[in-house]
Amino acid sequence: MEEGSIGLFIGRWHPLLVHLPIGMLLMAAVLELLRRHPRYAKVQVAIGPVLFAGMLSAIAACIAGYCLSLSGGYEEAALRRHQWLGIAVAVLSVIVYLYHQRSAAWQIHRKRYIAAALWMLLVILVAAAGHYGGSLTHGNGYLMQAAPPFLQRWLGGKGGGAGTVVIRDVQEARAYRDVIRPVLATHCYSCHGNDKQKGALRLDSMAFIRKGGENGPVLKAGGPEESELFKRITLPEDDEHHMPPKGRPQLSPHEALLLQWWIAQGAPFDKKVKQLQQPPAVKPLLAALQAEDAIKMHPFVPGKAPGKAGSAAIHALVQRGLKVMPVSEENDYLQVNAFNDTAFDNTHTALLLPLKKQLIWLQLGHTRITDAGLRNIAALPALTRLHLDHTAVSDNGLDALRTLEGLAYLNLTATKVTDQGLDKLAGLKSLKQLYLYQTAVTAGGVQRLQRRLPQLRIDTGGYQIPFIAADTIVYR
Amino acid sequence: MIEKIIKEANEQYLRYSTRRHFLQECITGLGAMAMGSLVGSCGTGTGTGSARMPAMNGLDPLLPKPPHFPARAKSVIYLHMAGAPSQLELFEYKPELAKLHNQLCPPSLLEGKRFAFIRGVPKMLGSQATFTQHGQSGAWVSNYLPHLASVVDEVSFLKAVQTDQFNHGPAQLFVHTGSPRLGRPGMGSWVTYGLGSENSDLPGFVVLTSGGKTPDGGKSLWGSGFLPSVYQGVQCRSKGDPVLFVSDPEGMSRQLRKQSIDAINEVNRREYEAFGDPETLSRIAQYEMAYKMQISVPEVMDISSEPEYIHQLYGTQPGKESFANNCLLARKLVEKGVRFVQLYDWGWDSHGAFPNEAINLGLRNKCREIDRAQTALLIDLKQRGLLDEVLVVWGGEFGRTPMQENREGKEMPFLGRDHHVDAFTIWLAGGGIKKGTTWGETDEIGFSPVKGKVGVHDVQATILHALGLNHEQLTYQFQGRPFRLTDVAGEVIQPILA
Repeated sequence: MEEGSIGLFIGRWHPLLVHLPIGMLLMAAVLELLRRHPRYAKVQVAIGPVLFAGMLSAIAACIAGYCLSLSGGYEEAALRRHQWLGIAVAVLSVIVYLYHQRSAAWQIHRKRYIAAALWMLLVILVAAAGHYGGSLTHGNGYLMQAAPPFLQRWLGGKGGGAGTVVIRDVQEARAYRDVIRPVLATHCYSCHGNDKQKGALRLDSMAFIRKGGENGPVLKAGGPEESELFKRITLPEDDEHHMPPKGRPQLSPHEALLLQWWIAQGAPFDKKVKQLQQPPAVKPLLAALQAEDAIKMHPFVPGKAPGKAGSAAIHALVQRGLKVMPVSEENDYLQVNAFNDTAFDNTHTALLLPLKKQLIWLQLGHTRITDAGLRNIAALPALTRLHLDHTAVSDNGLDALRTLEGLAYLNLTATKVTDQGLDKLAGLKSLKQLYLYQTAVTAGGVQRLQRRLPQLRIDTGGYQIPFIAADTIVYR
Repeated sequence: MIEKIIKEANEQYLRYSTRRHFLQECITGLGAMAMGSLVGSCGTGTGTGSARMPAMNGLDPLLPKPPHFPARAKSVIYLHMAGAPSQLELFEYKPELAKLHNQLCPPSLLEGKRFAFIRGVPKMLGSQATFTQHGQSGAWVSNYLPHLASVVDEVSFLKAVQTDQFNHGPAQLFVHTGSPRLGRPGMGSWVTYGLGSENSDLPGFVVLTSGGKTPDGGKSLWGSGFLPSVYQGVQCRSKGDPVLFVSDPEGMSRQLRKQSIDAINEVNRREYEAFGDPETLSRIAQYEMAYKMQISVPEVMDISSEPEYIHQLYGTQPGKESFANNCLLARKLVEKGVRFVQLYDWGWDSHGAFPNEAINLGLRNKCREIDRAQTALLIDLKQRGLLDEVLVVWGGEFGRTPMQENREGKEMPFLGRDHHVDAFTIWLAGGGIKKGTTWGETDEIGFSPVKGKVGVHDVQATILHALGLNHEQLTYQFQGRPFRLTDVAGEVIQPILA
């Protein structure tokens, strides 16, 4: 069906016309229910005209829909489903209308159940036909993807959005698979993919891209200016050939640039990014693909979402002079500093407990906390960073800290910890940094702990800078 | 005679009929309301561009605020060598340049370029220092900085930093405020505006100078620009009274001081309720901060309480103004949660006009003054577990030329280099920075960058990134548009981020 033909024109009216029977037939069903109530008995007279209009528009929608299907590009099975359901709706609407008109003559008792069955069938068919029509246009899972997570789980759909590619090292990533394909998936697959092939073009695999569509190949390796795939993206948005079509999410300039770069490099499907030349304009874009990941991979921030902390608990801490701040705007984790509350002692540690899900960084240096207070500290399972420097904490207190499985940083500078205390820390498998400057630990104790936790970096400080001759020479 | 008095009385009376009187009192103040609605959005600090301003209900402007994403560093210590240290004598090993020593500069290097003092055709100047590789990273460090060489594995170098200002004042302003013109807030002001301060007893932004003079950019380098003045850098002194005029005068007790400040702030609060000027909030905060600083600042600035080996480590000179004292103070300040500490050291402008400007004499003395102290700072932060949370930055405002300076075309009495904008070196260490890397390369004589070129705005964006701030989102509405530290440029330098 070539463009400009009358058939295509009529076909394009289908998305408009199809909403009329949906609205009207469902309204008719609603009125039919309503008229049984004595108060609304008057709506009886409306059912006939509404059904009539719904019937006519359903037939018109079917005709238009058929014309549209001739333009091609829709996945066959889904199209057939929608087509037959639509036709069934039109046919059933005629039956229900005729039945309704003659219902007075056929007012026999058991026919009422047939009437009810017909109405219910009509509503179900309208819903089903409409649903498959929507899937044809917007792709499968259109509703489900946007549903909130609890609803998705409840309805058994796939949780989360499309799997986003997490690139740890962009240079090691594959250019097509990790950089270009996600762009195509977001912007192109809905019309040029598994469910639909507009213009007989599929872009969801290497072979399909190479094959091209009804107007020939879309990719010329090494020549982005001659590749339809790229040319169409750079057309003005109002141009009828511009892709993605107006109204759809457009490619960002960065994505377009990356596509151009990939095609210019010969559109390799199996090469890694580092094997390709990276001009200066493209390098930051590639680096940016990796950056998202770098930000999320903060060594001291767990990946879960803890939920908001109670404001009363936070207020109680702030009253004391402690600083309670979110770790970032992105999540609800909290950090607490006692810089301005040096009188903080064991009795106040209970104030921290209501925040146990959110508290990850705790700064209690220079406070009056002692071993007894560490018991409450140990009840904060999310802790990753703990400063206990310049406090009266000693080996006994470290017993309590054994339960802190997520602890990654522990600062015990200028405390009373000795080698015995170090042995108690050997169970903290996540510990990455331990500071023991100005404590009474010995090299032997440190070595023992290091052997048991080889990933741990232990710093006992006490570095010296040697005196050298140059320290005192004055040049004139 | 009587007419004169009457006339004077009338004039006095008329003086009280100000515009303010008309707008506020006449027609029940409709004029003032109309004006308020007209210019309301023109006020500084209003509008969506100032997303980080505390809500206009009297909140403490230095209240700690969360960064955009989790921060790697909580504080910054910026060591600025005012005058521009010669990267060719410190970090850039260029044997090719040594081969060209005393030869005339090829014209291709001079074409189209403007130099601060070089005129005509200068001679090339090979490095006066000897270079060796150090540490596991194999970084090149000269014999001018032997102590830094021992900790070079903690540090990341940016060897191809570019600027476009070849005079000290504008270049320093560019590095610290993001624009070579006066009027913009300093980096520390932006950071305290964005993140607040973790310790409400100390200022969030502290500046310490050494070397005998204030840097050429002046106090605007740590000024608050158009941000509320509470975010201004507080210059502390390492000699004498830490902050001038903060202690009470004779006869005034601390109690009396508190009462007078409370009274002043009460008046200010009412003033704020009436007029809504954010600067009033600033004033209230500053009075309260000054009161707290009376106790907290002398305490933290007192280095005599540190043990002897710490003094030996840094090489401090108690009682005098020295870079080593300032480094120790910087450590003490970040230990107490100060957000941004800037150290300025003056005297690196090695033109070669005087012995203290000679790259083989004066420069060596300057290096000796800072070498031990900056190394000690890195080591001391590391052993206290702070190096992970503090970002240390070292650099000048531009670099120095591979050519010998020939002011007015004549040979200088001593060996010196002129200002060079195309390439200089900055190093960063600490929170969020990879250890032991180098990013950026210059050509074989150190004249132009060939790889990894970064600009001043990129360095600023990286510093903000380490603190958890997106440099494009940290804005302030002023004169009708949102401003930011990095102006309209700047990209985070990913390769040196851990």
